[in-house]
Amino acid sequence: MKGCLISQAPLFVQGGAEKMLQTRRSFLSGAGAGLLTFSLGGCKVEMTPGEARRQQASYSILNAEEVRVLDALAETLLPGAAAAGMAHFIDHQLAAAPGRQLLMIKYLGVDPPFSAFYQAGLTALNVYSKTRYGQPFPAIDPAQAHELVTTISQENPAGWEGAPAPFFYFVLRNDAVDVLYGTRAGIEGLGIPYMAHIEPATPW
Amino acid sequence: MNQDRSDTGADSTDVIIVGSGAAGSALAARLAEGGKKIVILEAGPDRSNKDLISSQIWARRLKWSGPPVIETGNDKIGHIFNTGYGVGGSALHHFGVWPRLHPEDFNSFSSYERGLDWPIAYEDLKPWYDQVQQEVGISGDAEQETWRPDGAPYPMGPVPVFAQGHVIKRGFDTLGIKTAPLPLAITTRPYNGRPACIWDGWCDAGCPTGALANPLTVYLPKAKTAGAILTTNATVTRILTTRDGTLATGVEYAGENGSRKQLLARVVVLAAFSVQNPRLLLASASEKHPNGLANSSDCVGRYIMTHPAGSIYGLFDDETLSYLGAVGGQLLSQDGYDKLTHRDKGAFGSYQWMIAQAVKPNDLLGIGLTRPDLFGSKLQAFMERAIRGFATMTAVAEDLPDTNNRLILADEKDHLGVPLAKVTHTTHPESKALWQAVMDEGQAIFKAAGAQAIWTGPQAPMHIMGGTIMGSNPMTSVTNSFGQTHDIPNLVIAGPGLFPTSGGVNPTYTVHALAMRTSRHLLDNWNVLTA
Ligand SMILES: Cc1cc2nc3c(=O)[nH]c(=O)nc-3n(C[C@H](O)[C@H](O)[C@H](O)COP(=O)(O)OP(=O)(O)OC[C@H]3O[C@@H](n4cnc5c(N)ncnc54)[C@H](O)[C@@H]3O)c2cc1C
Ligand code: SF4
Repeated sequence: MKGCLISQAPLFVQGGAEKMLQTRRSFLSGAGAGLLTFSLGGCKVEMTPGEARRQQASYSILNAEEVRVLDALAETLLPGAAAAGMAHFIDHQLAAAPGRQLLMIKYLGVDPPFSAFYQAGLTALNVYSKTRYGQPFPAIDPAQAHELVTTISQENPAGWEGAPAPFFYFVLRNDAVDVLYGTRAGIEGLGIPYMAHIEPATPW
Repeated sequence: MNQDRSDTGADSTDVIIVGSGAAGSALAARLAEGGKKIVILEAGPDRSNKDLISSQIWARRLKWSGPPVIETGNDKIGHIFNTGYGVGGSALHHFGVWPRLHPEDFNSFSSYERGLDWPIAYEDLKPWYDQVQQEVGISGDAEQETWRPDGAPYPMGPVPVFAQGHVIKRGFDTLGIKTAPLPLAITTRPYNGRPACIWDGWCDAGCPTGALANPLTVYLPKAKTAGAILTTNATVTRILTTRDGTLATGVEYAGENGSRKQLLARVVVLAAFSVQNPRLLLASASEKHPNGLANSSDCVGRYIMTHPAGSIYGLFDDETLSYLGAVGGQLLSQDGYDKLTHRDKGAFGSYQWMIAQAVKPNDLLGIGLTRPDLFGSKLQAFMERAIRGFATMTAVAEDLPDTNNRLILADEKDHLGVPLAKVTHTTHPESKALWQAVMDEGQAIFKAAGAQAIWTGPQAPMHIMGGTIMGSNPMTSVTNSFGQTHDIPNLVIAGPGLFPTSGGVNPTYTVHALAMRTSRHLLDNWNVLTA
């Protein structure tokens, strides 16, 4: 793998939360750039989660279909969350050792490993979309996606398998809030100062 | 040398303390300063200030990562959110809201035939509250706290009130309800070499500057200076006793690689918090103690309590600057502390308002989660509006102790072969009625403050208490007022698990006062205790 470790820290990148301010301080320290290691074409590459998504870095736990559903769900839950790297965020956390996982689900009475929860929910969402609209979730239009998410936020649709649909909605919605608003870029993007005592070396 | 070799070849020391959180570190400091050899065994990893990263996402690493706790009942205790893991325990990222219990909290049964009586009165704890307050450095304004029990004034002036505090205070003032600065174990000026707080609201991720009095800041350094040894990644799995079961002799613990070791001691202190303490007692059952250690009363694991907390949220036209301040809040109101305040609504118990918490956008206490129903563009619009005019306050209500709110051992075991804890908790109907009455009051206060929109959060569990309650009667309690178990006097419990009632205040100041009183007692009676 020698010669493979590339650092990609774009000062300004298009789309989502990363368009936000990269302050001089965080840029100079390198910390606020929020680089994580992703696998790209067999190489280990350091980049931001949003960049990893654009470069189609590979995933450790989620398969391609699950990522497509998750991207579409992220956009429905909170526009900008997919571009900010929600799928990579969740995949990265699911691949981490249980004591080091940073997903909010760890508070919520679900025992690790959490991948079964996410994967079952994404599958159930896709199945429900096909039943209701005849198409998988990534293929339905935004209005239909909104309707569908409204339903799962309130009740378990017939045939839904896995954790209760409203709980799945609750967890994923909060993951989206984490990704878009829980980082330096997200907080400053809302117009308030981050004021870190200790800057996180990576956003998560 | 803190450890000697015993006749059996196992290492031995004077006192083993299980857990390095609030109670364990305070006891370790005082006992080590009193000349005792102390070994603290801590299940989780070592932590230093460098681990206290300013991020609500990273903060989750500090939460409980030990064996799962099975939770049942209508109102679960929220174990993982309410519990920390590793050096400093839950207290490492606690918010430092440190009010005292009130005199009436100690005799709830005698006065009202509700709850239980403590074996001590407020007066017994008062000198220890005063001592801890000076040592730890609490900021506040005793005169403005007209409801405050008798005690020395605070050594530091109060937390500043930012816009959010002023906005909410309007509502209290309009309705004639008193407020005062929130008493915080946070520095408002340089104190004993610690810097003053800069009010950036990162307390939930752990304060790395030393402004907030967590165990890394105050008592663990004192303990280490006095010679206490802290061993991390050491999970105690069993308490050992003499063959006749009358004395504790030490503990068995598992190191990082799972290898089992024994450490012997003349006194064993359990300071592993309200869930793991009773779990360990029950899991240490032996021929002489078939129902678990210190459990002749059948009280181990009973009377688990968690404050039913509730938050009021509002959107104001004012710029509230709700990201400024400490996460605990800026102001306090205990005007409703009288246990009969809402009796007409079928409620019983004390409560307080913690007013104007500093908030971040994400996580369980973040702005985004206050409206879980919103998603898509509505959520975006809400966040942009709320970041300017959001305000919140949180009620801490009393949870009446109930013998059926109980920890037992489950059939399932952890990877070390210790049965898991199963905790059942359902809030007492009169405590639930209190929560509801308080939520109604809170909304009226926000209305009077001029909020444009008002909504509330669900009943949420805050703090975990009980499970190893103290009492005068060995038939109905686990320990005496010093935390010595009635059955095994050199086996001592520390922490909020000792509380027979929860009161309507945060527990950790009282945990410290009790720990100081216990250490004095152990030192004064050392020869008798260890004869
Ligand atoms: C987010 C949050 C905010 C809070 N805010 C406040 C507040 O503002 N005011 C207030 O009064 N209280 C607050 N609390 C509560 C406070 O943290 C606890 O009351 C206090 O820490 C209890 O002290 P303890 O020593 O009993 O337990 P802990 O501080 O939890 O320490 C117990 C230690 O024991 C260790 N342990 C567990 N099992 C074993 C074992 N088998 N072997 C060895 N070690 C073991 C744990 O890893 C832990 O380090 C808050 C808690 C949380 C989580
Ligand atoms: S607000 Fe104060 S106590 Fe809280 S983390 Fe910042 S400096 Fe520490």
